[in-house]
Amino acid sequence: MNFLAPAALALSALAIPIIIFYMLKLRRREVTVSSTLLWQLVLRDRQANAPWQRLRRNLLLLLQLLILAALILALARPALSVPAIASGSSVIVLDASASMNATDVAPSRFEAARRAAHSTIEALPAEAPVTVIVAGQQPQVIASAETDRGAIKRALDEAQPTNGAANWTAALALAAGALSRQTDQPTTIIISDGGLPQDLPPLPGEVRYVPIGQSSDNLSLTALSLRPTKNGAELFASVTNHSAVDRSVILSVYRGETLLSSQLLDLKAGAAQQVILNDLPREPAIYQARLSRPDQSDQPVDVLTLDDTAFAVNNPAGARRVLLVSPGNVFLEQLLAAIPDLQAFRVVPQKDGTLQMPTDEFDLYVFDGLLPDDLPFQPTLLINPPQNSVLRVNGVFSDTANARVLDSPVTRNVNWSNVHVREAKYIDPPQWAKTLVTSNGGPLVLIGDTGVRRIGAITFDLHDSDLPLQVTFPILLVNLIDYLAPGRSFNAPAGVSPGASVIIRPDLSVDTVAIASPSNQIYTVRSGGGEVVFKDTQELGAYGVTLISGDQQAIDYFAVNLFDPAESDLHPEAAIRIGQSQITSAQSDETGWQEWWSWLAALALLILLIEWWVYHGRKRL
Amino acid sequence: MLFDESSLRKLQQLTLVTARVRAGALRGERRSLKRGAGLEFADFRDYVPGDDLRRVDWNVYARLDRPYVKLREEEEDLAVHILVDASQSMDWGEGPQHKFNYALHLAAAVGSIGLSTGDRVTVSTLKTSEVYQTSEVSLRGQQYLLHLLKFLEAQQAAGITDLENAVRRYLIRPRRPGLVILISDLLSPHGYQPALKTLQQRGHEVALVHVLSPDEVDPPLAGDLRLIDVETGGAQEVSLDGGLRDAYRERVKAWRNEAQAFCRARGVRYLAVETDRAWDEVVLYDMRKARMVK
Repeated sequence: MNFLAPAALALSALAIPIIIFYMLKLRRREVTVSSTLLWQLVLRDRQANAPWQRLRRNLLLLLQLLILAALILALARPALSVPAIASGSSVIVLDASASMNATDVAPSRFEAARRAAHSTIEALPAEAPVTVIVAGQQPQVIASAETDRGAIKRALDEAQPTNGAANWTAALALAAGALSRQTDQPTTIIISDGGLPQDLPPLPGEVRYVPIGQSSDNLSLTALSLRPTKNGAELFASVTNHSAVDRSVILSVYRGETLLSSQLLDLKAGAAQQVILNDLPREPAIYQARLSRPDQSDQPVDVLTLDDTAFAVNNPAGARRVLLVSPGNVFLEQLLAAIPDLQAFRVVPQKDGTLQMPTDEFDLYVFDGLLPDDLPFQPTLLINPPQNSVLRVNGVFSDTANARVLDSPVTRNVNWSNVHVREAKYIDPPQWAKTLVTSNGGPLVLIGDTGVRRIGAITFDLHDSDLPLQVTFPILLVNLIDYLAPGRSFNAPAGVSPGASVIIRPDLSVDTVAIASPSNQIYTVRSGGGEVVFKDTQELGAYGVTLISGDQQAIDYFAVNLFDPAESDLHPEAAIRIGQSQITSAQSDETGWQEWWSWLAALALLILLIEWWVYHGRKRL
Repeated sequence: MLFDESSLRKLQQLTLVTARVRAGALRGERRSLKRGAGLEFADFRDYVPGDDLRRVDWNVYARLDRPYVKLREEEEDLAVHILVDASQSMDWGEGPQHKFNYALHLAAAVGSIGLSTGDRVTVSTLKTSEVYQTSEVSLRGQQYLLHLLKFLEAQQAAGITDLENAVRRYLIRPRRPGLVILISDLLSPHGYQPALKTLQQRGHEVALVHVLSPDEVDPPLAGDLRLIDVETGGAQEVSLDGGLRDAYRERVKAWRNEAQAFCRARGVRYLAVETDRAWDEVVLYDMRKARMVK
């Protein structure tokens, strides 16, 4: 036990005035009594033991001297010397990557790292500033050159490991920034289970490494994906044994809650094995792969559970398939070919005027001046339609002047002022239809949902107008196609890694996007037609994206998986590489001081409370 | 300070008890008082309201049509001296617990008993500093009850009283030996024993009513204090904690026990009273129990 500020012990002299004050009895309250006769008798009985007795009996004096002693000792800063990793200002980088969730060190690697950080900080001098950086996907500085140990402790206690890989380059850049702000030469302490990239830039000052972790026992699902085939869908899964011994594991694949396949895999140390499941249904579904023990026990299969489950979403949408049925319309053909995410096919009428419709289904049918006998049940765009069962055509009209455009998502950015139409077919707008563009003579563009399919109609032959020559033409057509056959709102076929952003581009009619996390936390965004960037993808599992337009909803899914061999490989690294130097496990070769003044201050406070109680207790007597 | 009707009636049924003194006193002063002769007729006097009707001579009333009371010799013979300590220390306590007022109540009660039984009652406040004549009254007969009460009402407690000196001053005038009822807190600078001895040496039978207020028995004090004696002005510093308070309570108890033992040894009847007890209960029960009245 040493005193870091022994000069404070000189304050012990303060005990003298306290005792003198007691001797002088300066603060006696005067009280009138009927007679002091009996008091004199009582005191005479006691005189035998005075004056030492008086001091001994005076509990308050004793307590006050104790308080003084505790305070002086606290000011003198008693400390025990302990071996420490660092002895001055420090920057602590705490690994919060997915591998830190491993439970080979009880209760987890991250908790062990947190404890190591606590003990490192406790051994530092009280006035040494400490910066703490949590290295996750987005590294955070949770304490910046902080000397308040309580604040650092609270910040450390709140830190949590992430489910993804750590961005070490960014974390060390933050550390370098923190180091450059401090005048002395701080020590950087990296508390990690390894797995740092090899090409990290050098750091100024001394770098120390505290390795965490004992075991490399881990099996992981390193891939799970689906792709469409002729007969439906094909699932591909890959399982890797990262441990140093051969392992057997059961891989179970579920479609929704239904078990599709379960097979025992024997994996040699460090080996991987692939599993392929064919002829899966084409319909959209969520697939889940799980690893479990061959002995069917409920115990986790290894020390890291995050990579023992993976999700994949079968969504065969891909590019929208559009069938153009037209005797020939270069405007339409060129435009459809130019729209990305769209696969256009064409059918021309045969010489005898009959239509040979293909048997497979399309996402959208565009009929240009023609109609088959039976309208398909898919969304349909009718251009210059002949008489048909859905829209009644009542002759033609040519007064197409004074066109008015209804304000709607489909007519967004549509400018009809320069469009001229020679002649159009008069169509009585049915109940379900909404007239987007109307002129003096009748409607020019209609949309609606019959309940069976979505229908769009342009009531004139494109060749009878200058619309295809206007900028408005592609805008209107793209809007109409997006309305009739909306595409996928986001593109994440291979899943998303934890913490990565998902960009959701809802079509124009969608006003609200609701995203449900695997733990059923709902995030709701009013999109207003714009794109939505969703970043809260920390949690592993399948996320549901619901696109709400009015009273209609469409739901789609994407999966977040830890497919990161570097994180799944739990092998504890004995050394890390920063810049050109190899840094091995740090030895506690510095001397740190574990200070006790806070306990003494607390003791002083406690005695003060007792003194207060005694003082008031006496007055009450 | 007036008694209510029922209290007065109860008091009038009591008699002050004396044992030896009366006989002793009579021997020197009475002509031939033998055993059984105490019923001798002495004189008549006019009936005054308040006199015991049993003493009215009905034969005389029948003849003269005026009520007369028969006086008998032995009833004049008891001299009752009621001495009330009027030192400053008696001026202590609040309201009904005020020691001096309480002592005056007791004096009035005892005096009224004496008056109702036709004793000669002399009431005096014991003060060292004042001229004694102004602080005493000597009465006989029921009709002087109001007089007695008025006298008592006018009394004040003040000054330092040394009990022995005060008693000696009281005895400077020749006093017929009789029953002395001393009401005091005994908080006298030079003790109470010499005073009691002096009274007994003069042939008086002494009864002591020791009055203390409850806060003297168990003082509500704590902390570092400078106690000022209200009577002498002297100061005493104490650091009062639980232990010292216990010691004080023990001391008070021991002091009262000492007084009781001293009194018992000298044949003085002793009654310790705290002023939180109703004074009429003290007279009707406690004094009866202490054989001061019957």
